[in-house]
Amino acid sequence: MWLGVRVATLIALLCGVGLPAWGQDKPAVRIGVLAYLGADAAVEEWTPVATQLRRALPDRSVELLSLDHAALNKAAQSGQVDFVITNPGHYVELEARVRASRILTLQTGAALPTSAWQAVGAAVITLAGNPQVQHLADLRGQRVAIVGKEAFSGYQAVWRELAAEGIDPERDLRALHLVGLPMDRVLEAVASGAADAGFVRACMVESRPEWRARFRVVAPRAEPDFACATSTRVYPNWPIATLPHTDSALARAVTIALLEMRADSSPITWTVPADYQSVHDLQRELMIGPYANLRVPTLTALVQRYWPWLAGLLGLIVLGGFYTLHVERQVQARTAALRQAAREREELQARLRQSREQAEHMARLSVLGELSGTLAHELNQPLAAIGNYAQSLLRRIDNQRLTPEAAREAASEMAGQAERAAGVLGRIRAFAKKRVAQRRPTDPVALVQESVALFRGMQVHAPAVDVVDELRAGTMLTVDALQIQQVLLNLLKNGWDATRHLPPERQLLTVRLHQDAGGVHIAVRDRGDALSSEQQLHLFEPFFTTKTDGLGLGLSICRSIAEAHGGRLDAATAQDGPGLQLTLTLPHDDRSTTGLS
Amino acid sequence: MTEALPASPEWHIHVVDDDAAFRRSLVFLLESMGWAVQAHASAADYLAHGLPALDETGCLLLDVRMPGMSGLELQQTLIARGCRLPIVFLTGHGDVELAVQAMKHGAFDFLEKPFKDQRLLDIVSAALRQREVELASRERADQASARLARLSPRETEVARLVAQGLPNKLVARALDISEKTVHIHRQHVMEKADVGSAAELARLMLQADPAALD
Repeated sequence: MWLGVRVATLIALLCGVGLPAWGQDKPAVRIGVLAYLGADAAVEEWTPVATQLRRALPDRSVELLSLDHAALNKAAQSGQVDFVITNPGHYVELEARVRASRILTLQTGAALPTSAWQAVGAAVITLAGNPQVQHLADLRGQRVAIVGKEAFSGYQAVWRELAAEGIDPERDLRALHLVGLPMDRVLEAVASGAADAGFVRACMVESRPEWRARFRVVAPRAEPDFACATSTRVYPNWPIATLPHTDSALARAVTIALLEMRADSSPITWTVPADYQSVHDLQRELMIGPYANLRVPTLTALVQRYWPWLAGLLGLIVLGGFYTLHVERQVQARTAALRQAAREREELQARLRQSREQAEHMARLSVLGELSGTLAHELNQPLAAIGNYAQSLLRRIDNQRLTPEAAREAASEMAGQAERAAGVLGRIRAFAKKRVAQRRPTDPVALVQESVALFRGMQVHAPAVDVVDELRAGTMLTVDALQIQQVLLNLLKNGWDATRHLPPERQLLTVRLHQDAGGVHIAVRDRGDALSSEQQLHLFEPFFTTKTDGLGLGLSICRSIAEAHGGRLDAATAQDGPGLQLTLTLPHDDRSTTGLS
Repeated sequence: MTEALPASPEWHIHVVDDDAAFRRSLVFLLESMGWAVQAHASAADYLAHGLPALDETGCLLLDVRMPGMSGLELQQTLIARGCRLPIVFLTGHGDVELAVQAMKHGAFDFLEKPFKDQRLLDIVSAALRQREVELASRERADQASARLARLSPRETEVARLVAQGLPNKLVARALDISEKTVHIHRQHVMEKADVGSAAELARLMLQADPAALD
């Protein structure tokens, strides 16, 4: 296989290009010819030209290069050939492409004499017995054989006529069979029935023996000075053209030599160059060749031309779409999950808040329950006093011993006691009420003093409570005063419970307020017996209690209140002497102007 | 319903209550009834005036719940010192337990705050009357004891058996002495105690000591 390719290349070199020049020092005249009937036919057809030139230019060798469209384009462009002989359509294309310039136009065809200006046409042929194709319009939906789309008479000339009928061969034919050169293949395709019709150069079919028995030319036109049957307008004959690099003296010599070819001695004659405007018209109409840029690209054409890119692009878009969809769906899923999580967390927090509020409320009620005896006592006193005064007044009226002074005294006492009772009720209600936390700037000293007063008011034998204020004047805390009061009441009550059985000097409770960088500290200190380390460890756990009647919720709730305020609650053994010190630490008020210096 | 006793300057009603407002109102009410009242803020305050005389007339109104010495503790102190002033306890709501304890220890009565003035009047009147009766009976007992104190130990022994209604013969056998000796002792007893019969002697001895004949 590999060897075969090498051998073929060698033969091509020997025969095609190199051989005629070999062994001669004469410069070559190279003429590229379009091989529409096949390479051998072309060489044979144009041999009279080569012969004439060899005769006229004895000091030069002459080479005929038979090439197809693409190879001829390439040869002209690269300078491999000095002259080109090609069909009118291709010539116009080369004019634009490589600035080819015609010097002569073929006067006579190979077989039949024609005018140089009216020489090239195309025949649409079908089988002689095929009645279906009578007019060009009948080609719609038929299978058509052509040599190739570059063929001028073999395709483009017919295309122009079809376009005039509104037929687009690419679109409206059932099939367009590209059979390739030589053109006889078109005849074969039609003859064999592989195609319903074929496009061939005019005059070609006439050169085939007994053609009328086999083929019929569709819609033949009457063209003046044109002898063959043609289905199309006719165009100027083939030209021979120079190229930009062609030596002008050589061109002149060649022109003269070719013009000397006589019809009586040569099948080929040349004349002055024809006007190729009609070919330009054709190409402009069909927007091909140099006029291809006129073609407004149709969507279909673009799709056909760029389909791999389009497919790739479409694929990318589809992939991108899928990706976007996927991402979108994921985002939605994640968002939903996040929302769900947020909702659950809110619910959980709400439940926690609720349960904490309930626990606080319960603790308040339980403290209230423990204190209810004394609270009733508190309330009873003013009520009893009011009753006494009222009854006294009645009695004195009955006795007629009521003096204005006594009436005034009784009335003002009664009013005072009614106020006292209302105050007690108000405190109970405020204490027991279920409420939402409200933080406000609060004076810690006033809060402590109020709590101490409340604590003492609730106890029968309230112990002495020392309040030691070491705070900077004007120190404020942003706290829920009622919650902090509850903490303080609990701490005081704890201290009292730990010492009430002890001698009076050990019943003293001390509340010390001081501050440092860590915050404001409110330390409640008793002088009770020391707690075991075990007890101290569990002091803040819920339901831990050393009391027989305690719920064990007090300190754990106090600590949670402290923590809710950003503070803490610590227990420590007192430094000086017996007792426990519980310290409530609350953060400094940001809005308070009094900071530590 | 008991009628209020007429006011008497000899009766002293003491009020001990730590709640100043209530204390003042109680004083005001008792004064409306025409009684003289002395108010004290605490048990210590009351005791600071010295123990009441054994024959002091009047009564004591005492709050059970007080800081320092409670009402119950004051009651114990007074009993220990032999003071028999009737005590009316003043209790708040829910102090029934304390009231029961106080009653067991011989309190005269208790009043639950707030109370009707009429009930206060009735109870205080009854307490005062009881105190009056008690003081009177104590005076009679004292007189009886004084008369019996004149007897010699043997005569006291004879007197006790006679007062129980034993004839001389059984008294002699019980004391292991002669019937004649019993007779002489009996005559001395009748003379010294200034009684005319065994029944009279028995009443006198019971006046002096309610448990004398047990």
